Amino acid sequence: MNTMTLDAPGYSEPASPQTLEKETVDTRTKVRETVGTPFCDNAKLKMRNVNVFYNETQAIHNVSLDIGRNEVVAMIGPSGCGKSTFLRCLNRMNDTIEGCRVEGDLTLDDEPIYGPKVDVVPLRARVGMVFQKPNPFPKTIYENVAYGPKIHGIGSRRAELDEIVENSLRRAGLWNEVKDRLDKPGTGLSGGQQQRLCIARAIAVSPEVILMDEPCSALDPIATARIEELIDELRKNYTIAIVTHSMQQAARVSQRTAYFHLGHLVEVNDTETVFTNPEHELTEAYITGRFG
Amino acid sequence: MDMHFDQHISRQFNEDLESLKTEMLEMGGLVTSQVADAVEALANADSEQAEKVLRIEEEIDKREMAIDEHATLIIAKRQPAASDLRMVMSVIRIARDLERVGDEASKVAKMAIALTDEGTAPRGYTEIRHIANAVRKMLNDALDAYTRFDVQAAMRTLAEDEQVDMDYRSAVREMVTYMMEDPRSISRVINVLWTLRALERIGDHAKNICEQVVYLVEGADIRHGHESNLKNT
Amino acid sequence: MSDLTQAQVRERIARRLASRHRKEKLFRGLGIASIAFGVMAVLLLFSDIISKGSGAFVQTDVQLQVTYDPALLGIDEVNAETLIWANFTAVIREALRARFPEVSGRSEKRELYSLVSSGAPFTLRERLQANPQLLGKTEKVWFAADDDVDTFVKSLDDSAEGFRGRTSEQMAAWVQSLRASGELKKRFNTTFFTNGDSREPEQAGIRAALVGSLLTLMVTLALSFPIGVAAAIYLEEYAPKNRWTDLIEVNINNLAAVPSIVFGLLGLAIFINFFELPRSAPLVGGLVLTLMTLPTIIISSRAALKSVPPSIREAAMGMGASRMQVVLHHVLPLAMPGMLTGAIIGMAQALGETAPLLMIGMVAFIVDVPSGITDPATVLPVQIFLWADSPERAFVERTSAAIMVLLSFLIVMNTSAVLLRKKLERRW
Repeated sequence: MNTMTLDAPGYSEPASPQTLEKETVDTRTKVRETVGTPFCDNAKLKMRNVNVFYNETQAIHNVSLDIGRNEVVAMIGPSGCGKSTFLRCLNRMNDTIEGCRVEGDLTLDDEPIYGPKVDVVPLRARVGMVFQKPNPFPKTIYENVAYGPKIHGIGSRRAELDEIVENSLRRAGLWNEVKDRLDKPGTGLSGGQQQRLCIARAIAVSPEVILMDEPCSALDPIATARIEELIDELRKNYTIAIVTHSMQQAARVSQRTAYFHLGHLVEVNDTETVFTNPEHELTEAYITGRFG
Repeated sequence: MDMHFDQHISRQFNEDLESLKTEMLEMGGLVTSQVADAVEALANADSEQAEKVLRIEEEIDKREMAIDEHATLIIAKRQPAASDLRMVMSVIRIARDLERVGDEASKVAKMAIALTDEGTAPRGYTEIRHIANAVRKMLNDALDAYTRFDVQAAMRTLAEDEQVDMDYRSAVREMVTYMMEDPRSISRVINVLWTLRALERIGDHAKNICEQVVYLVEGADIRHGHESNLKNT
Repeated sequence: MSDLTQAQVRERIARRLASRHRKEKLFRGLGIASIAFGVMAVLLLFSDIISKGSGAFVQTDVQLQVTYDPALLGIDEVNAETLIWANFTAVIREALRARFPEVSGRSEKRELYSLVSSGAPFTLRERLQANPQLLGKTEKVWFAADDDVDTFVKSLDDSAEGFRGRTSEQMAAWVQSLRASGELKKRFNTTFFTNGDSREPEQAGIRAALVGSLLTLMVTLALSFPIGVAAAIYLEEYAPKNRWTDLIEVNINNLAAVPSIVFGLLGLAIFINFFELPRSAPLVGGLVLTLMTLPTIIISSRAALKSVPPSIREAAMGMGASRMQVVLHHVLPLAMPGMLTGAIIGMAQALGETAPLLMIGMVAFIVDVPSGITDPATVLPVQIFLWADSPERAFVERTSAAIMVLLSFLIVMNTSAVLLRKKLERRW
């Protein structure tokens, strides 16, 4: 099996047994509709027929998905499959990217996320985000956590802010490690601590949804385990969407798993189904590490 | 759904899975021939062949342990998912069934030795031969279905177990009449009953292997009467 | 791919090793040679300037016994008005004649009078103003020697003959006599730092030019830094990337390469002819230099903004910070060191600029120290240009001394730029 089927879609060459075989493979695995259970009853976020374009290139093709309350949905897929792009639609982080256009209906508690009347500032306070690389501000630990409440005018008095900072750090499981050095720079913490600081910073504004874009890809297994434990803890209060490259992580932390492939949402199913008996062949091929 | 275990990006993974499957099928072959030998020893009152069956038993135990170890290593190293995971799990389960089949074959061999020692006319051997042929076919078909990931064949083989059970029950009834007719034959007939029982158990294990074929290919666990888990076939 | 054994491969590698090492050495040698050439050039420049200019920091004084004779002065009391009319020149001439009684004849006398600086009467006036009771009394006073005398005296240190230049034999004899009797002394030349420009080298100083430079730079900094930073922030953080911004970028880079004299002409046309701002003023100079340094500051500020990791912007944006909050709270503090460095380098450039200032009249002969940004002024490099053009030999050393002052300012500015960056820079 050394006929690589990873060629670009536009690839063509005179018909030969190999290309014929490839074509049959392509038609067989062509993505038309999402299989599995993309919708749920208790949806916090509803996305319907979402298309995302970067200038003329379409990055997301007609994706529909619900994310339920107090649910962790993992998004997996090969690099460039659009899972991060899709995640970033949910709090409009794509707005800053030149030439990025989002079509479709996206709602948070049935209120539109996109639209001329929607202000992104309160939206992002409701939909927090944790990034791939831990990116604390080059400020003190305290200021890192207090920043969100300050700009949104949540904690006006110092005592109030102190309380928010402590609670957020406690929830992020970082309080005991940093309570004696709140005035030290956040960048001086270890990678795992920095990421938990970023999570504390995100939850300091009491968001309803937390988006995580490969939050553990820069962390060692111990720090990763802590974050995963934290995600499970946070699920009680928040709705979480997580993009990850680690299939084991998706299997561990999520209730449902969505598999993206070349901008299509191929399959959404209960995580156990996806990892023991996925419905779609592409999902199967991806999670078992087979040739695309 | 087509099953391909030779398309992983990691060639080593391909080889590991392939060799695990081969190991299991080799063990299956060994066990099948052991069953055949045991039945033959019984039919021919050949205690020497029966002794050979008992010796192979040890080899089969070793193979089961080796398969377990290799499967454990694959899980530890590769964290298999989906069909790979089901493959590894089914191999572990089938290996255990095969080992038990081996145990049952040993029992048959022991009966062959005991019945040879008694040296009387082989009454009830017709039933034994009948059921033995049926379960040997089942075992062969089950392993064959596994080799070809053939769910249909597995389901057909699975259905055959009912017939074996019926044959077993009628054979038991017949043996009971023998014992009532001739109380002196009781001890010998009990040995024949034990043999029938062992063969019937082999049929059950063959059925289990078929269930594993369904699990491997369809991802549905139909053990213990949960056929409804298999939705779309 | 031919099959090579490992031994063959190793052998081939070993064969090439010597030549690789040789090339490595040659490459490094070339680098060292370039550095050495640069260092040599700098050393040569510095030693030349220092050897020529160090003399300017020393001034020769002549001691004379003067009598504040009311008759000669033509006054009978000391007050503000009489001090203006008093004939101090006569007193000094009398003192000179008294010191060298053998001198006779008009031309000889005139030569004798030129022994001391033409600024000597002002020295005397200041003394009398400070001590009115001196009227009618006699005292010994040190006067600055004339520049030719000064040059001659300084050259005596190098050889017994000395360099006479325009100094006549007779004058040389007088100088030798004064020197022998200890009526000549050398002192640190404070005049150089406290006076403005002058036709007489011994009275010429750089204060006016220095203050002029300072005022001009202040205007430049106050205008170009905020404008440059604001422009950079807009271009980097807000502006959409399209043809217009590309065009603007090309133009900014172009402006950085435009000859500075063009900015001078532009300043002349716009600020002086159109807006009718005063000529020769630091205000106009600052405006012109702002135009000139803006591209530098914009380019370096944009580079500083670009170097701020995008993850910080994303983090702030993800928290729901508005664009302005992202810039003010996070991006600007991180980019500030780079921006300041750019600004300082821009200022250093502006400090050394001459050509555009010639166009707007800052080349005028300015004696008074400017007191505001609208007063006529000149700047250090222009002062250097003016002195370098002057025929008097004493201006040669003053030119070099002014260059030394300018260079030391530039070194201080550039060093502080480097230190600032080192200190504030944050590694990511």
